Amino acid sequence: MAKIADSKNQKITTSSTAEYFSKNLQQVGFSSQVKAVLTTLKEAVDNSLDACEDHGILPEVSVTVEKVGQGSLKNSDQIRVRVEDNGPGVETDDLPKVFGEYLASSKFGRGRCSRGQQGIGISAATTWAQLTSAIGARVISKTDKMRKAIACLVEVDIKNNKGVIKDRETIDWDRPSGLSVEFLIDGRIQLNGDAGLLNYLNGTALVNPHLTMHYKLPDLEPNTIERVSTIIPDIPKATEPHPHTMKLGEFIAHSHLFGRVKVNVWLKKGFSRIHEGVLKELVKSGGIKASLLEKSVDSLSEAEFKGLFMAIQNTQLMAPSTKSVLSIGEESLAKSIQRIGAVDFFSVVTRRPTICDFKPVQVEVAVARLEDRSVDGDGPVQVLRFANRVPLQFDKSSCAIVHAITSVNWRAYGLAQPREALPIGPYIVAVSVVSPFIKFKNASKETIDASDELVEEIRRTLIQAGQRLSKHIRREVKANELEERMKHIEQFCPILVSGLCRITNATEARKKRAEDGLVKLLGRDARVTEKELKEAHKVLQAQTAEKQLALPLHPTAQ
Amino acid sequence: MATNQDIPKLSKELCNRLLTDLERARRPVLYATKCSLDNARYNHKVGYLTPGPKKVATELNVSSVKKMSRAIFMLEVLLRNLDSGAVNTKRELYYISKGEIKHNPELKPLDFADQDESDSVIDFICEMIECYREDLNCYANDRGGQTYSQNLIVTETLPDATKAVVDLGKLGTTPFQPKNRPQNLKLSSKKKLDFCLVVESEGTANTLVANGFTKRHNAILLGAQGVPSNAVRGWCKRIQDQLHVPLFFFGDLDAYTIQNIYRTLKAGSAASLIRNSDYSAPDVHFLGVLPEDIKKYDLNDYPVRENDAQEVRALKKAQDALKNDPFFQDKRNKGLSQILKWLLQYKRRCEQQAYFTVDPRDPTMPEKIIVDKIKRGDYV
Repeated sequence: MAKIADSKNQKITTSSTAEYFSKNLQQVGFSSQVKAVLTTLKEAVDNSLDACEDHGILPEVSVTVEKVGQGSLKNSDQIRVRVEDNGPGVETDDLPKVFGEYLASSKFGRGRCSRGQQGIGISAATTWAQLTSAIGARVISKTDKMRKAIACLVEVDIKNNKGVIKDRETIDWDRPSGLSVEFLIDGRIQLNGDAGLLNYLNGTALVNPHLTMHYKLPDLEPNTIERVSTIIPDIPKATEPHPHTMKLGEFIAHSHLFGRVKVNVWLKKGFSRIHEGVLKELVKSGGIKASLLEKSVDSLSEAEFKGLFMAIQNTQLMAPSTKSVLSIGEESLAKSIQRIGAVDFFSVVTRRPTICDFKPVQVEVAVARLEDRSVDGDGPVQVLRFANRVPLQFDKSSCAIVHAITSVNWRAYGLAQPREALPIGPYIVAVSVVSPFIKFKNASKETIDASDELVEEIRRTLIQAGQRLSKHIRREVKANELEERMKHIEQFCPILVSGLCRITNATEARKKRAEDGLVKLLGRDARVTEKELKEAHKVLQAQTAEKQLALPLHPTAQ
Repeated sequence: MATNQDIPKLSKELCNRLLTDLERARRPVLYATKCSLDNARYNHKVGYLTPGPKKVATELNVSSVKKMSRAIFMLEVLLRNLDSGAVNTKRELYYISKGEIKHNPELKPLDFADQDESDSVIDFICEMIECYREDLNCYANDRGGQTYSQNLIVTETLPDATKAVVDLGKLGTTPFQPKNRPQNLKLSSKKKLDFCLVVESEGTANTLVANGFTKRHNAILLGAQGVPSNAVRGWCKRIQDQLHVPLFFFGDLDAYTIQNIYRTLKAGSAASLIRNSDYSAPDVHFLGVLPEDIKKYDLNDYPVRENDAQEVRALKKAQDALKNDPFFQDKRNKGLSQILKWLLQYKRRCEQQAYFTVDPRDPTMPEKIIVDKIKRGDYV
């Protein structure tokens, strides 16, 4: 009884989104000090790239990560993360929304292949800075309409989920437009390994061939990765939602966007894959009265909505359009892969966009062999995972991409592979999944959910890449084999003849005749072998010079 | 089939032929019997697996020159052993080869990376000349086959033609260990023997003897120690042919025992097609454990564990055996194939030691059941 009374006396309160996230930052990528630095950098760079692409600007991003002192958290350093871009900048009024308000986004639910989606990440970084260093994000922004740039500090008003601008001033800035954001956070810097900053920066460079990036990291010389493409990716417009991907509540809510229009107009304009033929089908076999389609949307009762929704669900519709996905393209990927290190050869594959789990998806794969074989030659291949052109660096084992890689029989393509594990060798396997609706396993977008359909699609792409790669590996193996054979002839012939002669007590004359005969015999093989070897070398040299293993089998499909 | 005496002559002929081919710049070809299940034949009148017509041809070319050179090199070592009367195991031959190569750097390209490589060369020579490796003085360790009997007498002809006589009844609790080449042994008995029992587990065979089995029964009892070695196989063949006593095999009821242990003892194996005639005892019966024994004696059985790789593999192999193994396909062996089918259907197994559950306080209960089964003809 006491318990019931207690619970009755308890006050039910509501809390703001910012309050929720400030207490649960581990859910959005701040679960460890190493991750905190990487996530902060990643959110800032993602925003820069998205903004540049939206405004048709070739991005040039400068990244600085440095240690400035001891952090307030136990065993942490105070780290400065600064990202500057040449993007469109952010209007003064929007600065608090962008950097200090959760779920304030220009992209939420639009169904586009942008890196950011919900508007959580950069606000979470500001919150982390605020919680650990008691100072928010220091921002300099200039749009092309501003004469001078605005410099300010943005903080999150956690109680009300609002951004607050402090220390605002106007300054001169040597660029037409751009944005600079700087965070002082507690964390630890990890440069190498799967979760390392270098892995992130290299990965970002790989899938953004149009990006020029300058970076300065602790203990390393400042470096610049130049762009290899001047084509700005044109992010396809979002398509209208497909009714089969919706739930009843969403379906009704969607109708409110259209106000007072007829149901048939709403269905045709508001959804993809619904046309006159489908409406006729709904009336003919779906049990929907023709008069219902003539009614105004805002006059429909809940039961009518439900009936209509069920009828549409039971009607066969074309799969959603795949036009909304964006690919890097085999050509750009081929150029870009050479920026991540010296590679021997590689193969790239861009699959046609397809539908997985009722969502448009496009998968691209690049497999490259590193020239420096001493780098972890006996370890598993280096896997680079990308979702909407953002590197994924954590929770590798449960990711759809890793599932797909391990499901492929790489031995068939000349790579060593333990049972149900990643292949072994000095290779990089980069897999990019692009979709307006990627199903992540968590809010921090670290792992793609391994649905059977998606894993199969990635697997097929990997198989294609593997097949192209194997052509090269086989040629190489063949060349080695041929060389080995030549050596065999020289080494074994005298031993064989001597052995036979000893057992048979043959005379020297007989021995001589047998040796001559054997040389003649194997000489024929040797000549053929030599010819094959020369040809194999020629092919290999040609391919190494080109540095491109295989040309696309078909032009990139859209 | 070549005998010990023929081998030097046959080897010389073979080498001569190779040399003549080379003198004429003609490609020499070596033929060896294909020792695999697809070349195995079974006829119940013969009683064991025999080789079919398939031969493996090795033609001299850049790929095979290494294999041929190694074979001739090893043949030379083996012929030297035959000449001097020295014997070796495969492991020893591996090291002898290493030693030869060490002292003669010109032979370096022939070097064996591990024993598997030298073993396969020895097997290749045996298949080529169609002889047992024992004929090349290459012996395996005498594993398994510890034999007990009160009435068995073994006479061994030694290399110097003298004879050694062993009366097993005078050995006490010490067993007689058959040699890897039991062809030199002659068997006789003091009085007519009733039967010979081959027990899969050496431990259980010892227990039966310790509990007085051979005192109470005029029989031969031997432990197979798992998959029977050449010594055990040749020994059983010897017992069958020279003593004409009924032979019974007593082992676990599982796919591995039926296919790998009992089948090898009764009809030989596909890998040793060329020597099954001397290394199999076609008259041996499967006494148990039979599937019906489980119910009859209320034996403790248990399901095949999914994570027991050997058992799972054996069941898979049993499926293949029913389809492809001529031994199990022969209608005379229907009883055995029925057991395999039962094992595949129920996926259960029962161990030979389960007979001890029948009366846990009577140590001779397994013996009583075994003898009772033999008397009643309760075997396959």
